[in-house]
Amino acid sequence: MNDNGKMDADKERRKIKSAAAMRELMTKYYMEAKAAEDTNRPVAWITSGGPVEPLIHFDIIPVYPENHGAMCGAAHMNVELCEVAESKGFSRDVCSYARGDIGSAITKGGPIGGLPRPDLLVCCNNICNTVFKWYEELARYFDVPLFIYDTPFVRGDLPEHIAKYSMRQMEEYFSFLERVTGREFDEGSFLEVAAKSLQAINLWSEVLDCNRSRPAPMTCFDCFILMAPIVTLRGTQEVVDFYQGVLEEMHSRVEEGIGILPFERHRLLWDNIPIWYEMRNLGKLFMELESCLVVDTYTTAWTFEGVDVERPIESLAEAYAEVYLNINLERMTDTIVNLAERFEVDGMVLHSNRSCKPYSLGQYDLAREFTRRTGHPTLILEADHTDSRWYNRGEVETRIRDFVENLLD
Amino acid sequence: MDTQSIVDKCLELWRDPYDHLADLGLRGERMIAFFCTYTPEEIIYAAGFIPVRLMGAVRTITHADAHLQAYCCSLARTDLDMALAGELHYLEGAVFVQTCDTMQRLSDIWRRNTDFKFHGDLVLPIRMGEETSLPFLEEELRRFRGAIEEYLGEPMYDDTINQNIYIYNRNRKLIERLYRLRANNPGIIDGLAATACVVAGFWMRREEHNQMLQELLKGLEGTEPVEDGRTPLLVGGSVCSTPDLMELLLELDADVVDDDLCCGHRYIDAMVQEGGDPVEAIAERMWRRVNCPAKHQCREDHADFLMHRVEESGARGVVFFLQSFCEPHLFDIPYLKGLLQERDIPSLVLESELQSFSRGQLRTRLQAFMETIRGV
Ligand code: SF4
Ligand code: SF4
Repeated sequence: MNDNGKMDADKERRKIKSAAAMRELMTKYYMEAKAAEDTNRPVAWITSGGPVEPLIHFDIIPVYPENHGAMCGAAHMNVELCEVAESKGFSRDVCSYARGDIGSAITKGGPIGGLPRPDLLVCCNNICNTVFKWYEELARYFDVPLFIYDTPFVRGDLPEHIAKYSMRQMEEYFSFLERVTGREFDEGSFLEVAAKSLQAINLWSEVLDCNRSRPAPMTCFDCFILMAPIVTLRGTQEVVDFYQGVLEEMHSRVEEGIGILPFERHRLLWDNIPIWYEMRNLGKLFMELESCLVVDTYTTAWTFEGVDVERPIESLAEAYAEVYLNINLERMTDTIVNLAERFEVDGMVLHSNRSCKPYSLGQYDLAREFTRRTGHPTLILEADHTDSRWYNRGEVETRIRDFVENLLD
Repeated sequence: MDTQSIVDKCLELWRDPYDHLADLGLRGERMIAFFCTYTPEEIIYAAGFIPVRLMGAVRTITHADAHLQAYCCSLARTDLDMALAGELHYLEGAVFVQTCDTMQRLSDIWRRNTDFKFHGDLVLPIRMGEETSLPFLEEELRRFRGAIEEYLGEPMYDDTINQNIYIYNRNRKLIERLYRLRANNPGIIDGLAATACVVAGFWMRREEHNQMLQELLKGLEGTEPVEDGRTPLLVGGSVCSTPDLMELLLELDADVVDDDLCCGHRYIDAMVQEGGDPVEAIAERMWRRVNCPAKHQCREDHADFLMHRVEESGARGVVFFLQSFCEPHLFDIPYLKGLLQERDIPSLVLESELQSFSRGQLRTRLQAFMETIRGV
C-alpha cells in the first residue's frame, strides 16, 4: 500500500459506521412524518425538552422544530428562513430557531421542504421561555390546539409544589391527548413506552460515556449528529436498537484503541448548542489542532438521571422539571465540573449563543467558577447557533488557535 | 401641595429615583428592590420594607459587562451595573420574579456577585389563569412569605398583610380613578404628568403615594379641562425608564391618553380580595390579572386588553416601547401590529437601550411617526 492508501485506510478505520444507520433512521422518520400530513394520523410539533412519551403512546408523530432548525442551519439554509420571519416583523433578536421555523412554516423552505403541518402543539418551557412565545405564534398561525407543559425554574432541590404541579400537568396532558385523538390512555402500554424511552436514554448515556477513554472514539461533532434519534424518537424500539448498535461500535473502537482523531493531544469540553452551519469547519480545525471535544453540555442534556421504574410517571415528570437549562447556576456549575473530571478535559470552550439566553447568560460566571474549581482555562466564542450573519469566522478561528496553543501538554 | 408641585416632584423622581432612594436610606428606611410587577409588594411592605422598583438607568456600563453579554436587555445590564458599582448600598436586598430567561439568570448572577443581606426568588407559573397553576402559585407565595419571615426572624401576622393589601388596593383604585378622570376629561392632565404621578409610587411609602394621589385628584377634579388639540396616542410595551419618550411626544404635540405598560395601566389591573387568607388572595390576583407578554395568555388576554384600551381611549396611533433583546415582548409585536392594522391604527416600535440612549434619535423616529399619523 502506498502512503495515500494507508491514509485512506486509516481514515476509513476511524470513520463512525453508525452514522449511515442514523441517516437511514432519520430519513425514514421524516418521510413518514411528511407522509402523515394527508392521513388521519396526527402530527404534533413539540419542543426538544418536552415529554414525548405520551405522544408515542397515543400514536401521534412527534416532530421537532428545533431539530429541523439544526438541520436547516447545518444546510446553510436557516438565514433565508429567518429573513422570511423578519419580513413579517419578527425581530432579529429573537431565537433563530424560532425565526427559521416560522419562516419555514410560511414558505415550506429548507432542505426537506418544511415540516408536515401540525395537528397539535406541545410546548414545554423547561429549556427556555422563548418556546412558549414561539408556540403561541404557531398556534395562531396553524390554528391548532396548544398544550403548555409548564416547568417552573428549579433552584436547589426540586420542591414538592413544583413536583405536584408537574404531575397535575402530566395528567392534564394525557386528557388533552385523549381528547385530540379520541383514544383512551392505557397505563400498561404507556409504561412500555416510558421503559423504552428510559432504555434509550441509558444507552445514549453509555454511548457518551465511551468518550471517557483515551483516545476518544468520537468528538462532540459526532454526538451532535448521533443525538437526533434520542431527541426525536425516544420511546420507540427502533431507537433502542439503534443506540445498541452505536454502543457496540463504540465499545469495539475503545477496545481496539480507535480514536476519532489521528492524534489526540488535548481534550476539551463544549458548552451550549453547536454552531450548526460551522460544524464542518470547526471539526476540521479542532482535528488539525489535535484537540478533541470529548464531552458537551448539550447532548448530555438527554441523559436524565434518576428515572425510577417503580414510579415511572412521577419520576418522568420530575426528570422533565430538572433538565440542565432549568436549574440554577450553581447546579449547572456542578454538572460541568463533574463532566470535566469524569472526561478528564484540559479546558472548556463555551459558545455564547445570542439566540439562547437561558443557555448563555451566566456563562461568564460559569466559566470563572469552572476555572476556579478545576484549574482549567476557558474560551468564550460569540456566535449564534443558526444565524450565521452574526458569525465572524476569522476571529473565531484565531481565538481557538490561540487558546489551544496556550494549553499545557 | 398644588397639582403643579406634585407633578414636578414626581417628574423629578422619575428622572432620577436613585438619589432620592439613597436619601430614604439615610433616613433609616429599609428597602427591598424589585423589578417585575408580579412581585408581591404587599408582603414585602408588611414585613417593614419599602418595595422599590429598579427600572434601569441611562448610564455607561462599567461592571456588568463581565457578567452579562451585550445581547441582554439593558434593564438587567444597567441594574446589575449599579449594584456592582456599589451605588445601591442602601438596599437591604432584592426580589427576583421569574419573568423571563434573563431575569432567571440575573437572579443567580446578582446573588453570587453582590452582598446584599436579603435575596428573594419567586418562581411563577406561566400558565396564569388556569386551574392547574393556582395551587402551585399559592404554595410558592407561602414559601416566599416564609423566606421573608425567616429573614425577619419572626412570623408575620395575616392581619398585617391584610392591612397592606388594603393599602395597595386603595392605591390601585386611586390610580384607576386618575385614568378614568383622564378618559372622561381629555386635556385635564397630560400623559407625561399623569404617568409620572403613577410611576413615582415605586419609590415612596405607599400611604404617602396614596395621599399624594388623593391631593392630585382633588386638585384635578376642580379643574376645567383645556382643549389642547394634541394627537391622542397610546404607549404599550414594558417600562419607560425615563420620562423622555412622553416628553418628546408632548413636544411633538401628541399626548399619551392611555397606556399598556407595566409601569402604568397593567400594573394596577385587578384587586386583591380583602379579608381572607392574604397569601391566597395575593396569589389569586396575580393569577387573574391581565397577563404580561412573559406569561401565557390568561383570563383576559393581553392582546384583547390592548385593543380594548385603544378603542376606549380613542388613540390614533400606538407606540410600542420595549427593551432591545426582550424576547417576550418582541415575539408579540407582529401579532399586535397586525391587529392594530386591521383597525387602521398605525403603530411604531421603539427599542430602548439605556447604555446608548439617544434622545435625538428617539425624536426623529417619533417625528416621522407623527407625520404619518397626521398624514402630512
Ligand atoms: S432560546 Fe435556546 S433553548 Fe429556547 S428554543 Fe431557542 S435555542 Fe432552544
Ligand atoms: S425587559 Fe424583557 S428581557 Fe428584560 S427583564 Fe423585562 S421581560 Fe426580561
